[in-house]
Amino acid sequence: MRDKTDVLQGTLALMVLKTLDVLGPLHGYGIARRIEQISGDLLTVNQGTLYPVLLKLEQEGSIASEWGASENNRKARFYRLTRDGRKQLQAETRGWEQTTAIIDRFFAVKAEDLK
Amino acid sequence: MRALRRFFRRLASWTRSRQDEERLRAEIDEHLALQTAENVRAGLSPSEARRQALLKFGTVEAIRESYRDQRGLPLMETLIEDTRHALRRMRKAPAFTITTILTLALGIGATTSIFTLVHAVILKSLAVANPSELYRLGKESRCCYYGGYSQEKEFSLVSYDLYKHFRDNTNGFAELAAFSAIEPLFGARRAGSAEPAQSYPGEFVSGNYFTMFGIRAYAGRVLSPADDQPGAPPTVVMSYRLWQQKYGSDPSVIGSVFTLDQKPFTVVGITPPGFFGDTLSDNPPNFFLPLNTEPLFDGDLYTVNNNWLDLIGRIRPGAKPAQVEADMRVELKQWLLSHWGDMNPNERAKFPEQTLFFGPGGAGITSMREEYEHWLQILMMVSGFVLLIVCANVANLMLVRGLERRRQISVSMALGARASRLMRQPLTESILLSFFGGAAGLGIAFAGTRLILHFAFPKVAGLAELPISASPSMPVLLFAFVTSLVAGVAFGIAPAWMATRVDPIEALRGAGPSTTRAGSLPRKTLVVFQAALSLALLSASGLLTTALHHLESQDFGFDQDRRTIIKIEPRLAGYQSQQLTPLYSRIHDSLSNIPGISAVSLCTYSPMGANIWGGMVRVDGQPAPGPNDDNLSFWDRVTAGFFDVVGNPILKGRGIFEQDIESSRHVAVVNEAFARKFFANVDPIGKHFGQHDIGSEREYEIVGIAKDARFVTLKLDQPIAPLFFLPEAQHDLSPKAEDLNGGSHFMHDIVIVTTPGASLPIAQVRQAMASIDPNLPIIAIRTLKEQVTLQFAQQRLIARLTSFFGILSLVLASIGLYGVTAYNAGRRTNEIGIRMALGASRGNVVALVLRGAFALIATGLLLGVPLSAAAGRFLGHQLYGLSPYNPAVIAVAVVALGFSALAASLIPALRASSISPLEALRVE
Repeated sequence: MRDKTDVLQGTLALMVLKTLDVLGPLHGYGIARRIEQISGDLLTVNQGTLYPVLLKLEQEGSIASEWGASENNRKARFYRLTRDGRKQLQAETRGWEQTTAIIDRFFAVKAEDLK
Repeated sequence: MRALRRFFRRLASWTRSRQDEERLRAEIDEHLALQTAENVRAGLSPSEARRQALLKFGTVEAIRESYRDQRGLPLMETLIEDTRHALRRMRKAPAFTITTILTLALGIGATTSIFTLVHAVILKSLAVANPSELYRLGKESRCCYYGGYSQEKEFSLVSYDLYKHFRDNTNGFAELAAFSAIEPLFGARRAGSAEPAQSYPGEFVSGNYFTMFGIRAYAGRVLSPADDQPGAPPTVVMSYRLWQQKYGSDPSVIGSVFTLDQKPFTVVGITPPGFFGDTLSDNPPNFFLPLNTEPLFDGDLYTVNNNWLDLIGRIRPGAKPAQVEADMRVELKQWLLSHWGDMNPNERAKFPEQTLFFGPGGAGITSMREEYEHWLQILMMVSGFVLLIVCANVANLMLVRGLERRRQISVSMALGARASRLMRQPLTESILLSFFGGAAGLGIAFAGTRLILHFAFPKVAGLAELPISASPSMPVLLFAFVTSLVAGVAFGIAPAWMATRVDPIEALRGAGPSTTRAGSLPRKTLVVFQAALSLALLSASGLLTTALHHLESQDFGFDQDRRTIIKIEPRLAGYQSQQLTPLYSRIHDSLSNIPGISAVSLCTYSPMGANIWGGMVRVDGQPAPGPNDDNLSFWDRVTAGFFDVVGNPILKGRGIFEQDIESSRHVAVVNEAFARKFFANVDPIGKHFGQHDIGSEREYEIVGIAKDARFVTLKLDQPIAPLFFLPEAQHDLSPKAEDLNGGSHFMHDIVIVTTPGASLPIAQVRQAMASIDPNLPIIAIRTLKEQVTLQFAQQRLIARLTSFFGILSLVLASIGLYGVTAYNAGRRTNEIGIRMALGASRGNVVALVLRGAFALIATGLLLGVPLSAAAGRFLGHQLYGLSPYNPAVIAVAVVALGFSALAASLIPALRASSISPLEALRVE
């Protein structure tokens, strides 16, 4: 049985991309908070695990980052979606929808339907 | 694409790692500050807010680690770290490092050196365009003439007529070329130069020979089919080697006229540097002559049933080799049928079984490969064994080093180091050592290969050199690299694995060495393994040395003392068959008159001269031999007094006299083997035999029987073969008065006996020869002893190399045993002290230590004996009839190994026994 907080790296990356797509440039803490809010606190991640994911996405060119000032006027690193990242998000969204659609159909099937 | 971009980003970020660390720290700080602020807003106390923020964030160190893993190139980073660490460790123990590298260099160098030869002789293709498209006729290489319309097993040599039949009728070829199987010597001289002619090997080739190989001229042009026409002006292509070495790459050579055996030829071009012809040999041709110039010399070209040509063809793209082979088989039968009328009954009887084989020809004519393949396999095996022993030794050393590090490793493990990381470190060290060893080994390999080439193919005067270079080529470098890598893993894997089997608790307990015996089993196994391999090598070298000794010390049946051979080639001076007898008597007379020379005789080939004629014998009064009867005998042509000159006793009848001239009855002297084979129960003297077609049965009358003597260098392990001798002055004439064996009258060897105590007056001999005919070059002068010794050069080299490797392995195995014994004795110091305190004598202690060592050696020997037997079997016919199961040789090897083992283990045993009990007890 899987722990509910055991989020796959891939899904976390997708959430990061979607978050940046919806909200525009954000710093790491903002992204973490946003993911928590959307999932209705169902998904509590060790917030720190976000940073290696951010680094990987940046290395792949899906997001870019620069220093800026945060709400309380401290130096913070802001991440934004790149054109590549937007394309990747679209592709992955399609893939995800397909997958869920297929899984939904499987769950909808009852034993008598197969006769 | 994305992965690639990521790799470059990683590479970039790896170079600015410090900056990135800083960035992460700043981000984490910011994150925690924001979270803390939010928690405070939610009503928590500042310290609790901070605590909650940290909890929520997770383990900072773990995140940082995972971030680092993402950022740089962890594999490369640890590799560089490990390498740096290994280098530091190597620098700290220079004695260990140097010993290890030298040992490895020996092992890898030996193997690489043998591989250089294997690559050159067995694996390499000809330096021509697309060698994989080339196919050649025949599975085995044959030399050099094969008369008649039937051949044993396969039709592999063809006549010019048959070549043209194949060339004109087979569709699958882009080009089909023919060339002479023999590479005759030519007396060559630049026309108009004052220099005397010098002999160089040449080859007759078809006009499309170079086109077929895809070879372009280095300078000038290559031969074309237009050059290979009857009546075309004689042209010749010169080898790059000769052009460069003899004529200093003089461009005026091209287009100039050279005389070959006094016949003018125009040099039209030079071959490219890497091209040495169709055959790897120690005698590559220097001149390539068109086939149609052959009648200027011998006249084999138009004899329909004289097979003297090899074939190599370039397959048309898309053509199937199997189909080409099938077509050629049909063409062969058609051709044979068209000559049905010329065939004798035996040839007709053998007609159904005549076939041919057409196989890959990218390596050219592989006679050398066939000759040396087994030798090289033996050497490869032997050097491989040495490398294994070297690896075992180094593994042993590494194990000891690993044991020294036990404590450090247990601490690392207790601190959470991963096993794979701990294994990688010693493995990096061993591979690094191995690479250093391999690099040094390349030097050894180069020197070794040169040495082997020098001894295996001694430079023979008058012949070109073997086109094999000792300098490492790309495949050789690759081989050395892979060998080093494999060796490094082979000797590094056990110590590395042992390192991770350390119990962390042990280190913390501070346990001394005497409580644990870990690591001693693998070391013992290695010693047993070394002893077994070493025994196999020693007995193999013993067998080869014994076999060589048997060969050299056999009764050759002729005298080697005071005999000198002068090699000449009358053909080179343009002599015709009829002018020879007077020439020989002039040579005989003027050499006999030199003081210090007591007798002179000439022969086609002298004893053990590596060449001889063969013929099919028909005995008068016996039924004609059937198609499957073996009626082969070797034969030689000699001048008067020959048997006395070589010291081959005549047992019955007489030898060859001066009275045996053309007009007198034609006689022959036969050896005992001949008499046994063809006249089992009859006295052969006065009987007649011949060696040509039906009707030749009364060709020769037997006048004498000579004692069996080793003339023939083939099949040295077999009993001496039948041989007969004919007088030089008598010619085998056909009914149409053709000279049937005209070539045999060209004597190659002058045999000289010097008076006891006198040395050969070489200057006077040269002067005498020059005064007879300045155009008749002396090709070489050597003693008969040297000639015999030369025949065993390769056997001697193999025996010596194997002995060298055998002794090397013995030394290495002894060092291994010494190491293990000394180490074990050292660890038992405490126990020994107790034993001595309880009353054990010095002798008891020595026996205790020796017993341990000899248990290992005995196990090694037990395993080594069957291995030796297998090695002996592998040597097979290279032992020249010596049984591979030679108990004496194995016994000597066992004793040698036993003695070295005793010496190796006695030193630590004595040292262990000389310790005082008090001191020993204090060690713990």
